[in-house]
Amino acid sequence: MRLAAPVLRQLLTAAAIGVLVFVLMRVIPGDVVDVLGIEGDLSEQEQQALRAELGLDAGWWVQFLRWVGGTLRGDLGLSLRYNRPVAEMIGYALPHTLRLAALALGLGLALGIAAAAVAAARPHGIWPLLVQALNVWSIALPTFCVGLAAILVFSLWLGWLPVRGQLLMPVLVLGIDIAGQIAKPLHEELKEILATPFIRAARAKGLGPGAIVLGHVLPNAAGVLSSVSGLILAGLISGALTMEVLFGLPGLGSLAFQAIAGRDWTVLQSVVLLFALGVIVANLLADLAHRLADPRVR
Amino acid sequence: MTTSRRSLFAGASALAAAGLLDHLPGRAARAAERAGTLKVALLGLDTSDPHRHTGSIAVQQVYVEGLTSIADDGRAIPYLAESWRIENEGRRYVFRIREGVRFHNGRVMTAEDVKANAERVRDRIGRGWLSAPMKLVTRLEAPDARSFVMEMSEPYGPLLNLLSELWIVAPESEGWGGTIRQPIGTGPFRFTRWVPNELFRGEAHDGYWQAGLPRAEAVEFVLRDMDDPSLALRAGDLHIARARFAALPELRADPNIEIQFMKDTTWYFWSFNNRRPRPPFDRVKVREAIAYAMDKPGLMRLIAGEAGVVTNQMAAPGQFYWDEAIHAADRHAAPDLDRARAILRAEGVEPARTPLRIVSWQTDYAQAAAQAMRSLGFQVEHIALDDLGAQRRLNQYDWDLAPFASGPRADIFLRFIRMLSDGPNVGLWGGPQDPAFDALVKRAVAATDLAQRRALYLDAWRHAMDRYWTVVIGHAAEAIANRREVTGWRPGFTWGANRVDGGLAFARIG
Amino acid sequence: MPEAPLPTRHVAEAVAAPAASRASPWRRPLLLLALAGLFALVGPWIAPQDPLWQDLAARNLPPQPGAWLGTDNLGRDVLSRLLAGARITVLVAGGATALALAVGAGLGLAALAAGALPAALVFGLIDMIRALPSVLLGLALMVALGTGVGPVTIAIGLSFAPTFAVVARQAWLRERQAAYVEAAVASGTHPAVILRRHIAPNVAGALITQAAIILPRAVTTESVLSFLGLGVSPETPTWGRMIAAGLPFVERAPHAVLAPVVALSLLTLVLAVAGDHIRAAADPLRRGTG
Repeated sequence: MRLAAPVLRQLLTAAAIGVLVFVLMRVIPGDVVDVLGIEGDLSEQEQQALRAELGLDAGWWVQFLRWVGGTLRGDLGLSLRYNRPVAEMIGYALPHTLRLAALALGLGLALGIAAAAVAAARPHGIWPLLVQALNVWSIALPTFCVGLAAILVFSLWLGWLPVRGQLLMPVLVLGIDIAGQIAKPLHEELKEILATPFIRAARAKGLGPGAIVLGHVLPNAAGVLSSVSGLILAGLISGALTMEVLFGLPGLGSLAFQAIAGRDWTVLQSVVLLFALGVIVANLLADLAHRLADPRVR
Repeated sequence: MTTSRRSLFAGASALAAAGLLDHLPGRAARAAERAGTLKVALLGLDTSDPHRHTGSIAVQQVYVEGLTSIADDGRAIPYLAESWRIENEGRRYVFRIREGVRFHNGRVMTAEDVKANAERVRDRIGRGWLSAPMKLVTRLEAPDARSFVMEMSEPYGPLLNLLSELWIVAPESEGWGGTIRQPIGTGPFRFTRWVPNELFRGEAHDGYWQAGLPRAEAVEFVLRDMDDPSLALRAGDLHIARARFAALPELRADPNIEIQFMKDTTWYFWSFNNRRPRPPFDRVKVREAIAYAMDKPGLMRLIAGEAGVVTNQMAAPGQFYWDEAIHAADRHAAPDLDRARAILRAEGVEPARTPLRIVSWQTDYAQAAAQAMRSLGFQVEHIALDDLGAQRRLNQYDWDLAPFASGPRADIFLRFIRMLSDGPNVGLWGGPQDPAFDALVKRAVAATDLAQRRALYLDAWRHAMDRYWTVVIGHAAEAIANRREVTGWRPGFTWGANRVDGGLAFARIG
Repeated sequence: MPEAPLPTRHVAEAVAAPAASRASPWRRPLLLLALAGLFALVGPWIAPQDPLWQDLAARNLPPQPGAWLGTDNLGRDVLSRLLAGARITVLVAGGATALALAVGAGLGLAALAAGALPAALVFGLIDMIRALPSVLLGLALMVALGTGVGPVTIAIGLSFAPTFAVVARQAWLRERQAAYVEAAVASGTHPAVILRRHIAPNVAGALITQAAIILPRAVTTESVLSFLGLGVSPETPTWGRMIAAGLPFVERAPHAVLAPVVALSLLTLVLAVAGDHIRAAADPLRRGTG
């Protein structure tokens, strides 16, 4: 019951986003018939006929209701440009984006948590410096620049062809960025926790370091993680889009970009709605994880 | 089963086991060593309905075929039509349809199918490059399974070449009544899977009418507009890819890569605003001055390196419709800034006080053109947009200069059509509306004698040149690179990935 | 008018907090930013060549005397374009950040002042916009507004405005509930004075901190947009444009891509570090939330 209110609110947000996106798309000048018209050498008359055929001649209110009705039934409609089911195109692109995001998130979490944990355990080595370096890296260097630099370095000087079209580089770039975002706050939190009385008591009781980490340290760390998760997710989505375009990978980013260039509203609406839903779901999940992991919040 | 049928069955099985059945037509290809998936990156695919093709036509030719095919010298040669007769002074075409051509679903193609396709294009589609000849069609007939007759109200010269793009699809294809979703064609590969902007996969058609083809098991096109497919080519992720001119030196240096060129060319030009010209660019002498300021050799080198050639005509040097004399008389083959400035002075034009608006794509050579105009002293405003933006801006006709390019076509008529009063997408050529020009082109199209047609086309071109509607910088043939382990592949006249005498059906890996 | 007597130590500390943020820790990073901005603005005047001048006979030359960073595919001097691009990048990013601050904070605070319902509506709308990836939003706005320095600035500014609205609201709510404000209200200080002396400086502080965080992001967004082919006209030498134009020739002329990439990285590094200092100076007790 306590979760119902935020979930409802997020759903309303999602609905409102739908309207917003729909209106936004119509504000952009030019429509898909203009695009098809260029490529197919259509005369004015033929373009009018095509608009009628695609249903673009109805008032946008009508179009919106049609789209909502279809979406609620699970029918995302046809791409205005390619006459292919939108669901099919998204179905092809989504797994690619999810894979990129999941791998990047996994790498980032693993690297960030590991770095923070080791740095907390060995405060006199180079690890705290590494954490600091990671932090500065993620603040100061946008993933766009790092990606470009990676393309330059790896394709030019090391000759590992091709860099574009492969998943390794984007995952590394995004992963290190995420690691930088979580390493420092986590490190701070871990240092505080390790200094608390109850940890010292646990050590005195004879609990091994592994048990201490798992049983006491990480649950508290979950709080820190979920508080930065909003930022991380926003960055991950933006980052995945940029990486897709930069490295020429298939995915929702490329799909959205093509849809904007081609004025393909039906595709774009669904993609943007999907993004927004994704952010909402991720935030809810993070919130849930936080509540579960951190006893203080309950 | 009766005894005789059973023994027939047993006998047939024995024969099949002995491999003798393999020598029947159609089975031969299956028995041959068909291996591998060709990975290709040429152009994109915009629609699954071959009759509604909208511009980029490279992929479709692997699953659909037409009555004619374009040979390397630009002539129409037999494809699904084995032969034809032209009667009644070019108003009646009788095609003999090839025998034993099977659609992907196994059914044999007949003249009825061809007629159904022609009717669909004439009645249901009504747009695209075929709409012009279709308007002239008075009768479509299929008197028997192997004869298809087309009657026109007047002679139409480019018909045979344009028919290379009237692709024959089985009428039982899903979507025939609206937009075809799953085309059943006769081509060497089937329409297996299409993810728009991503990939197209076609698997080999076992019953393909050309014995022994295709040589590959499947073909996969990368449809995404890759900035540089040459990297993927060099890494072995692609077998055949279009090569940007800028990447040619690196590709030539790679021992694993072979470079070939398309037989027709992409032509580069700049157009003036011919629909609503703004002073002083409505004056022919001023346009002439601007032409003197353009460094054609420099521009072609920038565009295509050593692969480009400077000329002043829509046809490329060496092609049938190109004329040596007109080429030799090109006053603008080299820049002459002094002459340009002198003419402007004589015309009373002060560049420093004259705005000049350029609309273009975001290409390097458009920027070079802008600089040429600045060096004359004009107040240049350069608007560089994407495809859609540029097209819309051009149609507003509030600009002065438009440097653009246009690709290979099945017939020279498809270049002239862009300067007709009612032509499609005329913005790139400034949209002239001149009845005298229209009449010249119409007469050329109606001429059945090739020499006469050529003379009339040249007249029309001189008409356009004298008025400086559009000035040609030069031509460059597009390069297609392939890995050396791919054999049997040759690019054709246009972007089409397959033809009757060459293409992906003939390509083998390894 | 002298402040009313402050009875508790807690409140005194709270009062001390806003005072501390007006002290010298602000000055150093701001000075750094100002210097960077000045250098960028002056850039084109110290450029050795005309950044737009093409020399088709001198294309893709390596770094050498006379062209210290080489030339690009149209024979233009990379160093001069880099310096000219600095100015545009700084103008666009700075203008966009300022616009985002003005529109975002203005709208947010106005909505709060107008009452509970308008505030709920406006911030609901803002939440929605924030759920959209900013790159997409910028893209869509760019396509709608067209190319040019003005439209790019507006597009980027609008896409960052929501975060300023949120920060303004958070700061406002925090300050209003602060103990020292309650104390001031309890002691009868006029609301206008409370606003001017206590709330406004801290809200402004939070907004400036946010601006310092957003500025490098605006720089990156501008580069990504012009890399994608949207943004200012093609001759305009923004760094994103230079990268996009140089990538097809990267093997022949790596310097033409390397220079803008390094410049972009350096600029965002400097801005981010400065922003970090500002954030630490404004609020040493709070963790950054961006």
